[in-house]
Amino acid sequence: MISTVAVALFLASWEIAPRLRLVDPFFTSRPSQVLSAGVDIVRGGTLWHDAAVSLSEFAAGFALALAAGVPIGLMLGTFPTLRYLVDPPLMALYATPQLALLPIIVLWLGIGMGSKIAVVFIGSVIPIVVNSMAGVRQVERPLVLAARSFCATRRDVFIKVILPASLPAVMIGVRLGLSRAVLGVVVAEMYVSQEGVGNQIMRLGSAFRVDHLLVYVLLVSAFGLGLTTAARKLEERVAR
Amino acid sequence: MTPHIRIDGLTVAYDKPLAGGAFIAVANLSLDVPRGTFVTIVGPSGCGKSSVLLAIAGLTKPASGRVLVNDAPVVGPGRDRAMVFQEFALMPWRTVVENVRFGLELQRWSGEDLTARALRYVRLVGLQGFDQYRPHQLSGGMRQRVGIARALAVDPEILLLDEPFGALDAQTRESMGDELLKIWEQDKKTALFVTHSIDEAIFLGDIVVIMSKGPGRILETIPIDLPRPRPIDLMDTPTFVEYRRRIRHHLTSETPARA
Repeated sequence: MISTVAVALFLASWEIAPRLRLVDPFFTSRPSQVLSAGVDIVRGGTLWHDAAVSLSEFAAGFALALAAGVPIGLMLGTFPTLRYLVDPPLMALYATPQLALLPIIVLWLGIGMGSKIAVVFIGSVIPIVVNSMAGVRQVERPLVLAARSFCATRRDVFIKVILPASLPAVMIGVRLGLSRAVLGVVVAEMYVSQEGVGNQIMRLGSAFRVDHLLVYVLLVSAFGLGLTTAARKLEERVAR
Repeated sequence: MTPHIRIDGLTVAYDKPLAGGAFIAVANLSLDVPRGTFVTIVGPSGCGKSSVLLAIAGLTKPASGRVLVNDAPVVGPGRDRAMVFQEFALMPWRTVVENVRFGLELQRWSGEDLTARALRYVRLVGLQGFDQYRPHQLSGGMRQRVGIARALAVDPEILLLDEPFGALDAQTRESMGDELLKIWEQDKKTALFVTHSIDEAIFLGDIVVIMSKGPGRILETIPIDLPRPRPIDLMDTPTFVEYRRRIRHHLTSETPARA
Protein backbone atom coordinates (compact mmCIF):
# COMPACT_ATOMS: atom_id res chain seq x y z
CA MET A 1 0.00 0.00 0.00
CA ILE A 2 2.68 2.49 1.07
CA SER A 3 4.87 1.42 -1.83
CA THR A 4 1.98 2.05 -4.26
CA VAL A 5 1.68 5.57 -2.87
CA ALA A 6 5.44 6.02 -3.18
CA VAL A 7 5.40 4.97 -6.83
CA ALA A 8 2.44 7.25 -7.56
CA LEU A 9 4.15 10.19 -5.88
CA PHE A 10 7.31 9.57 -7.83
CA LEU A 11 5.48 9.37 -11.16
CA ALA A 12 3.48 12.49 -10.37
CA SER A 13 6.50 14.61 -9.50
CA TRP A 14 8.34 13.26 -12.55
CA GLU A 15 5.43 14.39 -14.71
CA ILE A 16 4.91 17.75 -13.04
CA ALA A 17 8.46 18.96 -12.38
CA PRO A 18 9.46 19.17 -16.08
CA ARG A 19 6.15 20.84 -16.93
CA LEU A 20 6.84 23.54 -14.33
CA ARG A 21 10.33 23.87 -15.77
CA LEU A 22 11.85 22.90 -12.46
CA VAL A 23 14.01 20.49 -14.42
CA ASP A 24 14.85 20.33 -18.08
CA PRO A 25 12.57 17.81 -19.82
CA PHE A 26 15.25 17.31 -22.43
CA PHE A 27 17.22 15.28 -19.86
CA THR A 28 14.46 13.76 -17.76
CA SER A 29 11.56 13.20 -20.13
CA ARG A 30 8.14 12.59 -18.54
CA PRO A 31 6.05 9.48 -17.84
CA SER A 32 3.52 10.48 -20.48
CA GLN A 33 6.26 10.87 -23.08
CA VAL A 34 7.81 7.56 -22.09
CA LEU A 35 4.41 5.96 -22.48
CA SER A 36 3.92 7.28 -25.99
CA ALA A 37 7.51 6.33 -26.82
CA GLY A 38 6.61 2.84 -25.65
CA VAL A 39 3.70 2.74 -28.05
CA ASP A 40 6.02 3.93 -30.84
CA ILE A 41 8.58 1.28 -30.10
CA VAL A 42 6.05 -1.53 -29.94
CA ARG A 43 4.59 -0.41 -33.29
CA GLY A 44 8.01 0.27 -34.76
CA GLY A 45 9.03 -3.33 -35.11
CA THR A 46 12.71 -3.54 -34.12
CA LEU A 47 11.79 -4.17 -30.48
CA TRP A 48 10.92 -7.79 -31.13
CA HIS A 49 14.11 -8.43 -32.98
CA ASP A 50 16.26 -6.77 -30.31
CA ALA A 51 14.43 -8.53 -27.49
CA ALA A 52 14.82 -11.87 -29.25
CA VAL A 53 18.55 -11.35 -29.70
CA SER A 54 19.09 -10.34 -26.08
CA LEU A 55 16.86 -13.10 -24.77
CA SER A 56 18.60 -15.81 -26.74
CA GLU A 57 22.01 -14.60 -25.61
CA PHE A 58 20.76 -14.57 -22.06
CA ALA A 59 19.06 -17.96 -22.27
CA ALA A 60 21.95 -19.71 -23.99
CA GLY A 61 24.56 -18.32 -21.61
CA PHE A 62 22.52 -19.00 -18.52
CA ALA A 63 21.49 -22.51 -19.58
CA LEU A 64 25.14 -23.38 -20.16
CA ALA A 65 26.05 -21.90 -16.78
CA LEU A 66 23.37 -23.97 -15.08
CA ALA A 67 24.31 -27.16 -16.87
CA ALA A 68 27.99 -26.76 -16.06
CA GLY A 69 27.89 -24.88 -12.76
CA VAL A 70 25.69 -27.14 -10.66
CA PRO A 71 27.57 -30.40 -11.37
CA ILE A 72 30.96 -28.72 -11.06
CA GLY A 73 29.97 -27.06 -7.78
CA LEU A 74 28.60 -30.28 -6.32
CA MET A 75 31.74 -32.13 -7.35
CA LEU A 76 34.04 -29.50 -5.85
CA GLY A 77 32.05 -29.67 -2.63
CA THR A 78 32.38 -33.44 -2.51
CA PHE A 79 36.08 -33.81 -3.29
CA PRO A 80 38.32 -31.62 -1.10
CA THR A 81 41.47 -32.19 -3.17
CA LEU A 82 39.76 -30.85 -6.25
CA ARG A 83 38.49 -27.92 -4.25
CA TYR A 84 41.93 -26.92 -2.93
CA LEU A 85 43.15 -27.01 -6.50
CA VAL A 86 40.62 -24.61 -7.98
CA ASP A 87 39.69 -22.54 -4.95
CA PRO A 88 42.12 -19.62 -5.45
CA PRO A 89 41.34 -18.97 -9.15
CA LEU A 90 37.64 -19.54 -8.49
CA MET A 91 37.55 -16.99 -5.69
CA ALA A 92 39.53 -14.54 -7.82
CA LEU A 93 36.96 -14.93 -10.59
CA TYR A 94 34.11 -14.61 -8.09
CA ALA A 95 35.50 -11.26 -6.99
CA THR A 96 36.15 -10.04 -10.55
CA PRO A 97 33.30 -8.25 -12.30
CA GLN A 98 32.70 -10.41 -15.35
CA LEU A 99 32.65 -7.30 -17.53
CA ALA A 100 36.32 -6.67 -16.89
CA LEU A 101 36.85 -9.70 -19.09
CA LEU A 102 34.74 -8.29 -21.91
CA PRO A 103 37.60 -6.90 -24.03
CA ILE A 104 39.48 -10.17 -24.03
CA ILE A 105 36.30 -12.14 -24.79
CA VAL A 106 35.61 -9.89 -27.74
CA LEU A 107 39.14 -10.47 -28.89
CA TRP A 108 38.51 -14.19 -28.87
CA LEU A 109 34.90 -14.42 -29.99
CA GLY A 110 34.22 -11.26 -31.97
CA ILE A 111 31.23 -8.97 -31.52
CA GLY A 112 28.49 -11.45 -32.46
CA MET A 113 26.23 -13.38 -30.11
CA GLY A 114 29.08 -15.65 -29.04
CA SER A 115 30.86 -13.04 -26.97
CA LYS A 116 27.61 -12.06 -25.20
CA ILE A 117 26.80 -15.69 -24.45
CA ALA A 118 30.29 -16.03 -23.01
CA VAL A 119 29.90 -12.97 -20.80
CA VAL A 120 26.56 -14.22 -19.50
CA PHE A 121 28.05 -17.67 -18.94
CA ILE A 122 31.12 -16.49 -17.05
CA GLY A 123 29.11 -14.09 -14.93
CA SER A 124 26.49 -16.58 -13.85
CA VAL A 125 28.48 -19.80 -13.69
CA ILE A 126 30.76 -18.55 -10.92
CA PRO A 127 28.10 -17.80 -8.28
CA ILE A 128 26.38 -21.07 -9.19
CA VAL A 129 29.60 -23.05 -8.71
CA VAL A 130 30.58 -21.26 -5.51
CA ASN A 131 27.17 -21.61 -3.87
CA SER A 132 26.63 -25.23 -4.93
CA MET A 133 30.05 -26.02 -3.50
CA ALA A 134 29.20 -24.27 -0.25
CA GLY A 135 25.90 -26.13 -0.14
CA VAL A 136 27.61 -29.51 -0.18
CA ARG A 137 30.11 -28.44 2.45
CA GLN A 138 27.35 -27.22 4.75
CA VAL A 139 25.55 -30.56 4.82
CA GLU A 140 25.33 -31.56 8.46
CA ARG A 141 27.58 -34.45 9.29
CA PRO A 142 24.98 -36.35 11.37
CA LEU A 143 22.68 -36.58 8.34
CA VAL A 144 25.37 -38.41 6.41
CA LEU A 145 26.14 -40.64 9.41
CA ALA A 146 22.44 -41.47 9.76
CA ALA A 147 22.22 -42.49 6.11
CA ARG A 148 25.36 -44.60 6.40
CA SER A 149 24.03 -46.28 9.54
CA PHE A 150 21.20 -47.60 7.36
CA CYS A 151 23.71 -49.12 4.95
CA ALA A 152 23.59 -46.29 2.41
CA THR A 153 26.02 -46.60 -0.49
CA ARG A 154 28.04 -43.57 -1.57
CA ARG A 155 25.53 -43.07 -4.35
CA ASP A 156 22.64 -43.22 -1.86
CA VAL A 157 24.33 -40.66 0.36
CA PHE A 158 24.75 -38.34 -2.59
CA ILE A 159 21.23 -38.68 -3.97
CA LYS A 160 19.26 -38.92 -0.74
CA VAL A 161 21.26 -36.59 1.50
CA ILE A 162 23.85 -34.37 -0.19
CA LEU A 163 21.72 -33.35 -3.15
CA PRO A 164 18.51 -32.37 -1.34
CA ALA A 165 20.45 -30.83 1.55
CA SER A 166 22.43 -28.54 -0.74
CA LEU A 167 19.48 -27.58 -2.94
CA PRO A 168 18.69 -24.35 -1.04
CA ALA A 169 22.28 -23.14 -1.47
CA VAL A 170 22.23 -24.11 -5.16
CA MET A 171 19.12 -21.98 -5.56
CA ILE A 172 20.84 -18.98 -3.99
CA GLY A 173 23.58 -19.41 -6.57
CA VAL A 174 20.99 -19.57 -9.33
CA ARG A 175 19.36 -16.34 -8.19
CA LEU A 176 22.69 -14.50 -7.97
CA GLY A 177 23.65 -15.96 -11.34
CA LEU A 178 20.41 -14.72 -12.89
CA SER A 179 20.99 -11.09 -11.94
CA ARG A 180 24.60 -11.27 -13.14
CA ALA A 181 23.38 -12.75 -16.41
CA VAL A 182 20.92 -9.92 -17.04
CA LEU A 183 23.60 -7.38 -16.22
CA GLY A 184 26.08 -9.16 -18.47
CA VAL A 185 23.89 -9.31 -21.53
CA VAL A 186 22.81 -5.66 -21.38
CA VAL A 187 26.21 -4.15 -20.69
CA ALA A 188 28.00 -6.37 -23.18
CA GLU A 189 25.54 -5.31 -25.85
CA MET A 190 26.07 -1.67 -24.99
CA TYR A 191 29.75 -1.90 -25.72
CA VAL A 192 30.14 -4.48 -28.40
CA SER A 193 27.09 -5.17 -30.47
CA GLN A 194 25.03 -4.07 -33.39
CA GLU A 195 21.72 -5.32 -32.12
CA GLY A 196 19.95 -6.22 -28.89
CA VAL A 197 18.31 -4.25 -26.11
CA GLY A 198 21.60 -3.01 -24.64
CA ASN A 199 22.68 -1.78 -28.02
CA GLN A 200 19.41 0.15 -28.41
CA ILE A 201 19.88 1.79 -25.02
CA MET A 202 23.34 2.95 -26.04
CA ARG A 203 22.20 4.25 -29.41
CA LEU A 204 19.23 6.11 -27.99
CA GLY A 205 21.47 7.65 -25.37
CA SER A 206 23.84 9.01 -28.00
CA ALA A 207 20.85 10.33 -29.90
CA PHE A 208 19.43 12.07 -26.77
CA ARG A 209 16.18 10.10 -27.07
CA VAL A 210 15.61 9.90 -23.32
CA ASP A 211 11.97 8.84 -23.59
CA HIS A 212 12.69 5.93 -25.93
CA LEU A 213 15.77 4.95 -23.95
CA LEU A 214 13.75 4.72 -20.74
CA VAL A 215 11.30 2.33 -22.34
CA TYR A 216 14.12 -0.15 -22.92
CA VAL A 217 15.50 0.41 -19.43
CA LEU A 218 12.09 -0.26 -17.91
CA LEU A 219 11.81 -3.40 -20.00
CA VAL A 220 15.12 -4.71 -18.71
CA SER A 221 14.34 -3.93 -15.10
CA ALA A 222 10.91 -5.56 -15.35
CA PHE A 223 12.53 -8.64 -16.83
CA GLY A 224 15.21 -8.77 -14.13
CA LEU A 225 12.71 -8.16 -11.36
CA GLY A 226 10.41 -10.89 -12.68
CA LEU A 227 13.23 -13.41 -12.85
CA THR A 228 14.69 -12.76 -9.43
CA THR A 229 11.23 -12.77 -7.85
CA ALA A 230 10.50 -16.12 -9.45
CA ALA A 231 13.88 -17.44 -8.29
CA ARG A 232 13.22 -16.22 -4.77
CA LYS A 233 9.84 -17.96 -4.72
CA LEU A 234 11.50 -21.17 -5.85
CA GLU A 235 14.18 -20.68 -3.24
CA GLU A 236 11.60 -20.39 -0.47
CA ARG A 237 9.90 -23.54 -1.70
CA VAL A 238 13.04 -25.66 -1.55
CA ALA A 239 14.20 -24.16 1.75
CA ARG A 240 11.66 -26.43 3.57
CA MET B 1 26.21 -68.93 25.15
CA THR B 2 28.10 -66.32 23.18
CA PRO B 3 27.23 -62.69 23.92
CA HIS B 4 25.23 -60.76 21.36
CA ILE B 5 27.92 -58.11 21.20
CA ARG B 6 31.52 -58.68 22.19
CA ILE B 7 33.87 -55.73 22.33
CA ASP B 8 37.40 -57.01 22.43
CA GLY B 9 40.31 -54.67 23.23
CA LEU B 10 38.73 -51.82 21.30
CA THR B 11 40.84 -48.74 20.69
CA VAL B 12 39.44 -45.83 18.71
CA ALA B 13 41.71 -43.00 17.66
CA TYR B 14 41.15 -39.83 15.68
CA ASP B 15 43.73 -37.80 13.81
CA LYS B 16 44.41 -34.42 15.30
CA PRO B 17 44.15 -32.17 12.27
CA LEU B 18 46.28 -29.31 13.61
CA ALA B 19 48.51 -30.68 16.36
CA GLY B 20 49.39 -33.83 14.43
CA GLY B 21 49.43 -37.27 16.01
CA ALA B 22 46.28 -38.97 17.20
CA PHE B 23 43.69 -38.45 19.89
CA ILE B 24 42.86 -41.69 21.67
CA ALA B 25 39.10 -41.65 22.29
CA VAL B 26 38.75 -45.22 23.54
CA ALA B 27 41.64 -47.32 24.89
CA ASN B 28 41.66 -51.09 24.98
CA LEU B 29 38.04 -51.46 26.03
CA SER B 30 36.38 -54.85 26.40
CA LEU B 31 32.72 -55.53 27.12
CA ASP B 32 30.26 -58.36 26.57
CA VAL B 33 26.60 -57.58 26.02
CA PRO B 34 24.19 -60.51 26.37
CA ARG B 35 21.24 -60.70 23.99
CA GLY B 36 18.19 -58.78 25.14
CA THR B 37 19.97 -56.63 27.69
CA PHE B 38 19.63 -52.91 28.02
CA VAL B 39 23.10 -51.53 28.66
CA THR B 40 23.60 -47.90 29.55
CA ILE B 41 26.96 -46.22 29.31
CA VAL B 42 27.52 -43.21 31.52
CA GLY B 43 30.53 -40.95 31.81
CA PRO B 44 31.81 -37.40 31.44
CA SER B 45 31.84 -35.71 28.04
CA GLY B 46 34.81 -36.64 25.95
CA CYS B 47 35.17 -40.07 27.53
CA GLY B 48 34.66 -41.81 24.22
CA LYS B 49 31.24 -43.30 24.94
CA SER B 50 29.89 -42.20 21.58
CA SER B 51 32.93 -43.66 19.85
CA VAL B 52 32.09 -47.05 21.34
CA LEU B 53 28.64 -46.85 19.75
CA LEU B 54 30.03 -45.67 16.41
CA ALA B 55 32.42 -48.63 16.41
CA ILE B 56 29.56 -51.06 17.07
CA ALA B 57 27.53 -49.34 14.35
CA GLY B 58 30.42 -49.84 11.95
CA LEU B 59 30.66 -46.09 11.37
CA THR B 60 34.20 -45.76 12.67
CA LYS B 61 37.12 -48.11 12.19
CA PRO B 62 38.91 -49.28 15.35
CA ALA B 63 42.62 -48.46 15.54
CA SER B 64 42.98 -51.85 17.18
CA GLY B 65 40.78 -54.51 18.73
CA ARG B 66 37.44 -55.49 17.30
CA VAL B 67 33.72 -55.67 17.75
CA LEU B 68 31.85 -58.94 17.23
CA VAL B 69 28.12 -59.13 16.67
CA ASN B 70 26.74 -62.66 16.76
CA ASP B 71 30.36 -63.82 16.69
CA ALA B 72 31.05 -62.10 13.36
CA PRO B 73 33.41 -59.11 13.22
CA VAL B 74 31.82 -55.76 12.41
CA VAL B 75 33.28 -54.34 9.20
CA GLY B 76 30.64 -51.71 8.47
CA PRO B 77 27.01 -50.78 9.04
CA GLY B 78 24.52 -53.64 8.88
CA ARG B 79 20.80 -54.29 8.87
CA ASP B 80 21.07 -55.90 12.30
CA ARG B 81 21.95 -52.56 13.93
CA ALA B 82 20.19 -49.20 13.95
CA MET B 83 21.21 -45.96 15.56
CA VAL B 84 19.45 -43.03 17.21
CA PHE B 85 21.40 -39.75 17.20
CA GLN B 86 21.64 -36.97 19.77
CA GLU B 87 21.11 -34.30 17.11
CA PHE B 88 18.14 -36.31 15.77
CA ALA B 89 19.72 -36.29 12.29
CA LEU B 90 16.35 -36.05 10.54
CA MET B 91 16.19 -34.97 6.91
CA PRO B 92 14.59 -31.49 7.11
CA TRP B 93 13.04 -31.79 3.63
CA ARG B 94 11.24 -35.03 4.50
CA THR B 95 7.98 -35.28 6.40
CA VAL B 96 7.73 -37.35 9.57
CA VAL B 97 6.54 -40.46 7.75
CA GLU B 98 9.12 -39.98 4.99
CA ASN B 99 11.84 -39.74 7.61
CA VAL B 100 10.70 -42.98 9.16
CA ARG B 101 10.71 -44.52 5.67
CA PHE B 102 14.29 -43.34 5.14
CA GLY B 103 16.01 -46.38 6.64
CA LEU B 104 13.63 -48.78 4.87
CA GLU B 105 14.47 -47.18 1.52
CA LEU B 106 18.20 -47.28 2.12
CA GLN B 107 18.07 -50.89 3.27
CA ARG B 108 16.12 -51.72 0.10
CA TRP B 109 13.11 -53.16 1.88
CA SER B 110 10.61 -54.63 -0.53
CA GLY B 111 7.54 -56.82 -0.59
CA GLU B 112 5.51 -54.53 1.62
CA ASP B 113 4.15 -51.03 1.51
CA LEU B 114 6.97 -49.00 3.05
CA THR B 115 4.77 -46.00 3.82
CA ALA B 116 2.25 -48.19 5.62
CA ARG B 117 5.03 -49.76 7.63
CA ALA B 118 6.50 -46.34 8.42
CA LEU B 119 3.07 -45.13 9.54
CA ARG B 120 2.78 -48.03 11.98
CA TYR B 121 6.01 -46.91 13.62
CA VAL B 122 4.90 -43.27 13.61
CA ARG B 123 1.90 -44.44 15.63
CA LEU B 124 4.04 -46.63 17.87
CA VAL B 125 5.98 -43.59 19.09
CA GLY B 126 2.77 -41.62 19.59
CA LEU B 127 3.00 -39.27 16.62
CA GLN B 128 -0.27 -40.19 14.91
CA GLY B 129 -1.65 -37.12 13.20
CA PHE B 130 1.81 -35.63 12.73
CA ASP B 131 2.94 -37.86 9.87
CA GLN B 132 2.81 -35.03 7.30
CA TYR B 133 4.70 -32.52 9.49
CA ARG B 134 8.27 -31.56 8.82
CA PRO B 135 10.92 -31.76 11.54
CA HIS B 136 11.14 -27.99 12.08
CA GLN B 137 7.44 -27.96 12.96
CA LEU B 138 7.99 -30.39 15.84
CA SER B 139 9.34 -30.00 19.37
CA GLY B 140 12.64 -31.63 20.30
CA GLY B 141 10.92 -34.51 22.03
CA MET B 142 8.72 -35.18 19.01
CA ARG B 143 11.72 -35.04 16.69
CA GLN B 144 13.51 -37.67 18.67
CA ARG B 145 10.39 -39.83 18.57
CA VAL B 146 10.80 -39.71 14.80
CA GLY B 147 14.45 -40.71 15.24
CA ILE B 148 13.42 -43.64 17.39
CA ALA B 149 10.67 -44.69 14.99
CA ARG B 150 13.13 -44.55 12.09
CA ALA B 151 15.49 -46.89 13.94
CA LEU B 152 12.76 -49.29 15.05
CA ALA B 153 11.13 -49.44 11.61
CA VAL B 154 14.01 -51.40 10.12
CA ASP B 155 13.51 -54.00 12.86
CA PRO B 156 17.13 -54.17 14.04
CA GLU B 157 18.41 -56.75 16.52
CA ILE B 158 20.49 -54.09 18.22
CA LEU B 159 19.49 -50.55 19.07
CA LEU B 160 22.29 -48.02 19.49
CA LEU B 161 21.22 -44.78 21.17
CA ASP B 162 23.78 -41.98 21.34
CA GLU B 163 22.59 -39.55 24.04
CA PRO B 164 19.19 -39.53 22.38
CA PHE B 165 17.64 -37.28 25.02
CA GLY B 166 20.70 -35.08 25.54
CA ALA B 167 19.18 -32.14 23.68
CA LEU B 168 15.86 -32.25 25.55
CA ASP B 169 14.70 -30.43 28.69
CA ALA B 170 14.58 -32.38 31.96
CA GLN B 171 10.85 -33.08 32.00
CA THR B 172 10.62 -34.19 28.39
CA ARG B 173 13.68 -36.28 28.98
CA GLU B 174 12.09 -38.20 31.84
CA SER B 175 8.88 -38.96 30.01
CA MET B 176 10.77 -39.95 26.86
CA GLY B 177 12.82 -42.42 28.90
CA ASP B 178 9.65 -43.83 30.38
CA GLU B 179 8.09 -44.27 26.94
CA LEU B 180 11.24 -45.72 25.44
CA LEU B 181 11.20 -48.40 28.14
CA LYS B 182 7.57 -49.25 27.41
CA ILE B 183 8.36 -49.72 23.73
CA TRP B 184 11.53 -51.63 24.50
CA GLU B 185 9.74 -54.02 26.84
CA GLN B 186 7.52 -55.22 23.98
CA ASP B 187 10.33 -57.17 22.35
CA LYS B 188 13.48 -56.48 24.38
CA LYS B 189 16.01 -55.86 21.68
CA THR B 190 19.60 -55.63 22.76
CA ALA B 191 20.15 -51.93 23.45
CA LEU B 192 23.14 -49.73 24.14
CA PHE B 193 22.28 -46.31 25.45
CA VAL B 194 24.87 -43.60 26.00
CA THR B 195 24.01 -40.81 28.45
CA HIS B 196 25.37 -38.11 30.72
CA SER B 197 22.59 -38.61 33.22
CA ILE B 198 23.14 -41.02 36.08
CA ASP B 199 19.41 -41.26 36.78
CA GLU B 200 18.65 -42.07 33.18
CA ALA B 201 21.36 -44.73 33.17
CA ILE B 202 19.95 -46.49 36.25
CA PHE B 203 16.30 -46.12 35.28
CA LEU B 204 16.76 -47.64 31.84
CA GLY B 205 19.59 -50.10 32.24
CA ASP B 206 20.00 -53.73 33.18
CA ILE B 207 23.67 -52.92 33.35
CA VAL B 208 25.31 -49.53 33.85
CA VAL B 209 28.79 -49.18 32.39
CA ILE B 210 30.75 -46.32 33.93
CA MET B 211 33.45 -44.82 31.74
CA SER B 212 36.22 -42.39 32.52
CA LYS B 213 38.03 -40.17 30.14
CA GLY B 214 41.58 -39.58 29.13
CA PRO B 215 41.48 -41.99 27.31
CA GLY B 216 38.10 -43.72 27.45
CA ARG B 217 38.03 -46.90 29.49
CA ILE B 218 35.59 -48.76 31.73
CA LEU B 219 35.75 -47.88 35.43
CA GLU B 220 33.04 -50.21 36.62
CA THR B 221 30.15 -52.29 35.40
CA ILE B 222 27.15 -52.28 37.72
CA PRO B 223 24.18 -54.65 37.25
CA ILE B 224 20.94 -52.89 38.13
CA ASP B 225 18.75 -55.23 40.09
CA LEU B 226 15.44 -53.42 39.82
CA PRO B 227 12.27 -55.19 38.65
CA ARG B 228 10.65 -54.38 35.30
CA PRO B 229 8.40 -52.80 34.23
CA ARG B 230 9.84 -49.81 36.01
CA PRO B 231 7.46 -47.05 37.08
CA ILE B 232 8.76 -43.49 36.97
CA ASP B 233 8.60 -43.06 40.77
CA LEU B 234 11.16 -45.83 41.10
CA MET B 235 13.68 -42.99 41.14
CA ASP B 236 12.65 -42.10 44.70
CA THR B 237 13.14 -45.57 46.19
CA PRO B 238 16.11 -46.21 48.54
CA THR B 239 17.63 -48.84 46.22
CA PHE B 240 17.65 -46.38 43.32
CA VAL B 241 19.16 -43.69 45.49
CA GLU B 242 21.84 -46.11 46.62
CA TYR B 243 22.74 -46.93 42.98
CA ARG B 244 22.88 -43.24 42.24
CA ARG B 245 25.23 -42.66 45.17
CA ARG B 246 27.53 -45.49 44.09
CA ILE B 247 27.77 -44.38 40.48
CA ARG B 248 28.32 -40.77 41.37
CA HIS B 249 31.05 -41.83 43.76
CA HIS B 250 32.84 -43.70 40.96
CA LEU B 251 32.52 -40.80 38.56
CA THR B 252 33.75 -38.14 40.97
CA SER B 253 36.57 -40.09 42.60
CA GLU B 254 38.04 -41.38 39.35
CA THR B 255 37.72 -38.24 37.28
CA PRO B 256 40.05 -35.49 38.41
CA ALA B 257 38.33 -32.12 38.22
CA ARG B 258 39.91 -30.82 35.06
CA ALA B 259 37.22 -28.76 33.45
